[in-house]
Amino acid sequence: MTTEQPMVLHRFASPFDVETAPGAEGWQQMYPYYFLFSEENKEWEDGMLWYQDGVHHPEVLYPFDTITHECWRTALGQNNSRIFAIPPAYGIEQRIINGYLYIAAVPVSSQERMQERVEVFVRRAGDYYANWDEIFDKWKAKMVDLIEKLEALDVPHLSRLDIEEIVTERRGISSGWRLVEAYNAVIENMFTAWQYHFEMLNIGYAGFLNLFMFCKQAFPGIKDELIAQMVAGSELLFFRPDDELKRLAQLGLDLGIADKLRASRKPEEILEDLRHDPAAEKWVESLDEIWHPWFYFSNGAGFYHHHRSWIDDLTVPWAALTGYIDRLEKGESLERPKQAILDRRERLTSEYRELLATDEDRAVFDENINLARLVAPYIEDHNFYVEHWHHTVWWNKIREFGDRLVEGGFLDDREDMFFMNRWEVGQAFADMVASWASGGPSGGQKIWKSKVADRKRIFDALHDWTPLPALGPVPEEITEPFTVMLWGITTERVRSWLGLGDAVGENEIQGVPASPGTAEGRARVVLSSSDIGSIEQGEILVCPITAPSWGPVFSKVQAAVSDIGGMMSHAAIVSREYGLPAVVGTGTGTRRIKTGDMVRVDGNTGLVTILPRSTN
Amino acid sequence: MEYILPLKDCHSHFTELVGGKAMGLGSLLRQELPVPSGFAVSTHAYREFVEVTGLDRAIQMNLRGADTIDEQRRVSERIRGLFEESKLQDSLLAELTEAYMQLSPHGMQPVAVRSSSVSEDAAEASFAGEHDTYLWIEGPDAVAKNVLRCWSSLFTPQALSYFKQFGIRANETAMGVVVQTMVAAEAAGVMITIDPMTGDRSQISIEGSCGLGLAVVGGEVTPDRYFVDKVTLDIRSRMISPKSVAYRFDSQAGEVRRIDVPEEEQMKPCLTEEEVVAIAALGKQVERSLGTAQDIEWALGPWIDGKRDIFLLQTRPETVWRNKQAAPLASSQTSIMDRLVGNMSMPMRIV
Repeated sequence: MTTEQPMVLHRFASPFDVETAPGAEGWQQMYPYYFLFSEENKEWEDGMLWYQDGVHHPEVLYPFDTITHECWRTALGQNNSRIFAIPPAYGIEQRIINGYLYIAAVPVSSQERMQERVEVFVRRAGDYYANWDEIFDKWKAKMVDLIEKLEALDVPHLSRLDIEEIVTERRGISSGWRLVEAYNAVIENMFTAWQYHFEMLNIGYAGFLNLFMFCKQAFPGIKDELIAQMVAGSELLFFRPDDELKRLAQLGLDLGIADKLRASRKPEEILEDLRHDPAAEKWVESLDEIWHPWFYFSNGAGFYHHHRSWIDDLTVPWAALTGYIDRLEKGESLERPKQAILDRRERLTSEYRELLATDEDRAVFDENINLARLVAPYIEDHNFYVEHWHHTVWWNKIREFGDRLVEGGFLDDREDMFFMNRWEVGQAFADMVASWASGGPSGGQKIWKSKVADRKRIFDALHDWTPLPALGPVPEEITEPFTVMLWGITTERVRSWLGLGDAVGENEIQGVPASPGTAEGRARVVLSSSDIGSIEQGEILVCPITAPSWGPVFSKVQAAVSDIGGMMSHAAIVSREYGLPAVVGTGTGTRRIKTGDMVRVDGNTGLVTILPRSTN
Repeated sequence: MEYILPLKDCHSHFTELVGGKAMGLGSLLRQELPVPSGFAVSTHAYREFVEVTGLDRAIQMNLRGADTIDEQRRVSERIRGLFEESKLQDSLLAELTEAYMQLSPHGMQPVAVRSSSVSEDAAEASFAGEHDTYLWIEGPDAVAKNVLRCWSSLFTPQALSYFKQFGIRANETAMGVVVQTMVAAEAAGVMITIDPMTGDRSQISIEGSCGLGLAVVGGEVTPDRYFVDKVTLDIRSRMISPKSVAYRFDSQAGEVRRIDVPEEEQMKPCLTEEEVVAIAALGKQVERSLGTAQDIEWALGPWIDGKRDIFLLQTRPETVWRNKQAAPLASSQTSIMDRLVGNMSMPMRIV
């Protein structure tokens, strides 16, 4: 088991030896001090294995957007370490180097502490498992309530003379102070959403991990995704927006407005016209009905301000909608093979069960399957509530604060606010409101504009830097049980980072097998959701990360390859649902594959092969 | 017929009469699995043969005092010589010829003549691969001659030492023979319906090489290896090895020859992915019908209309993992929460 001083066999570069990216001097001042490696913590920090969080935060971090990982640092950590007392693991620490997020799992380092935690874990997690569905129902109500509060949050304007209501309603509190309060509230609201996010997630994963470890012991060669398939449901919230589009496509055909929907103009303009078109009245009504919440669906992971949602930009849903209309006209069925997936889940479960050696094992397997299936709906659906629905509202709400900074002369553009971190925005409002109140001058009007301009330069320099996959010493073993599941930190991964991995061929890219089957076809490299419209029927999607809202794309492509992801990543779940071969976590797929390349995707082995181009 | 049974009729209660190999093939045929057609020559034929020719007494005499390895080798040679100099009794020869001609309407169908021993499990295990198989035998006379050779393989030096060790008398043993249509194998090999390394019962492990199965069974090549998930029949992994030799029938020389494979062809996989899956599917079916993990020999026929037919040549229960007592992975008496803690606390080795 874990020892106080784990033996170290290999070592990546020390975080203290990483040099500032050329041209990015001063990047440190963009981020709160607690995200920086420091002389004060050097001894501890230098003893940890840090890896770049390419799963959730693969990009250079906008200072403001660090709020999402700051939220999960606390929320994930507290549930592991203080609340449910996951016996072998505390939380996940975070540091930023050259704009990229590095994380490290904090182990429970003594056997004694671990023992103390077991009893607490069994009691507390056991209580949640015993009442899971009821707690999840309450959880949904809490999230909806939080979103409603967020939508209702007023972000006051500051006027030369404050509004009349302050007096007539005897408020006693100015619009200025209300603005400060609103900013505090919007930040609090985000943190609360993430407190909820992890309320059931760690122990949910523990319930899944329990089955996973059992299956790996019983069937050492079993593929990870087959274990996931024995648990997966067929009615994920992620599929609901797509299902609604299919319904709207049918309705458009029924009402005879298909050609109007397919007009070659911006979807927003088409929709505006339809609002005044009597023939489209029923269709628009139907869209308005499902708009909230099913169009509050991010084209990305929802973690960043630039992950816009369907409500912000109709390009993605519209491309899917018109594609569905085309297919319905050709007489194709748009039904997802729900029953086939459920049948497969039952067949897999009963056949593996039968292969177990003893009745005792079968009894344990049944219990493990039941627990994993109990927690699965939460694992699958929580993202829709938090990262999609809530964050769609939140990123729009936060832009209203950007508007206030522009109105106060602090910034030129609302989007510039994302170059300030959350504390700096708070300071700017304190300054702005105080000088509004006093009538005196505010230094902030000059300071922030020039800081933002400087940071844009730094940001560009950081973009050009390639983050090292890992830093620090490699311990002999990792005891944090979720590291493998969520970040895909496996023996093979670490070995390949160290240059010890099995070499793959020049035209081969090794990733994680996520959904079984093989396919060969023309590659389409899609770097952002705005390129989704370019995908043609039967192509192989190659992308950095497949967000759930790309769902509609999956009915067009015959396989998917992503740079980022593990067995429980969105791409993996969606591909399995659509029965497509998928390889995730290739790291370099979008860089090495070009649109038009013929590629072979093997979802069983995780190997992607770029085939020689034919000469004719 | 008095001495000969169709393979399909070789039921398990006839083990004493036809031997283990014939019985295994019979069980496959009754499941309508693809086994080359053929028949079994019973142990009754053997017993009558040694009696009427007086070989039984000659064997007894020779065996006396065969105590050392050197002596056992000499005695083996002598006894086998006696068999090969003899002729089958007329009644058996007539039946054998008739049965062969049924397999071979034109009179020269190549067949495999294979020993099918009646020894117990333990003996079977220690004799594995010792009893002889003769390939590409053409014509009734050659078949008859090779039946004698199979019988004589009951008296290999290893068998003699075994008799000695366990106090078995020669007249207590007997040998059946299987005669089957020859598969001109393009590829052949073995499969075990578990992972022989880990005992993983959800895996089918296939090894194969080009040409007849001799190269794989005899360990002369590193075969291509495929691991297949028994439930989904997806290929878990594959390892293609350079296969430097192959056994093929040389029609000019009229015999099976060992051929050096040109270097540029050595890395060519011996199976297509579809064939791997089809072979595994057969393995799964065999295991299901026989109830335990199996060790199976298979071969692929020549390409006809873009495909190669798969044949099963032999099956026997896998013994290594079967004989290990399967301990439960976890006790259902413990609570799921305790097991969950145990599973979570299992450290993952990363280097």
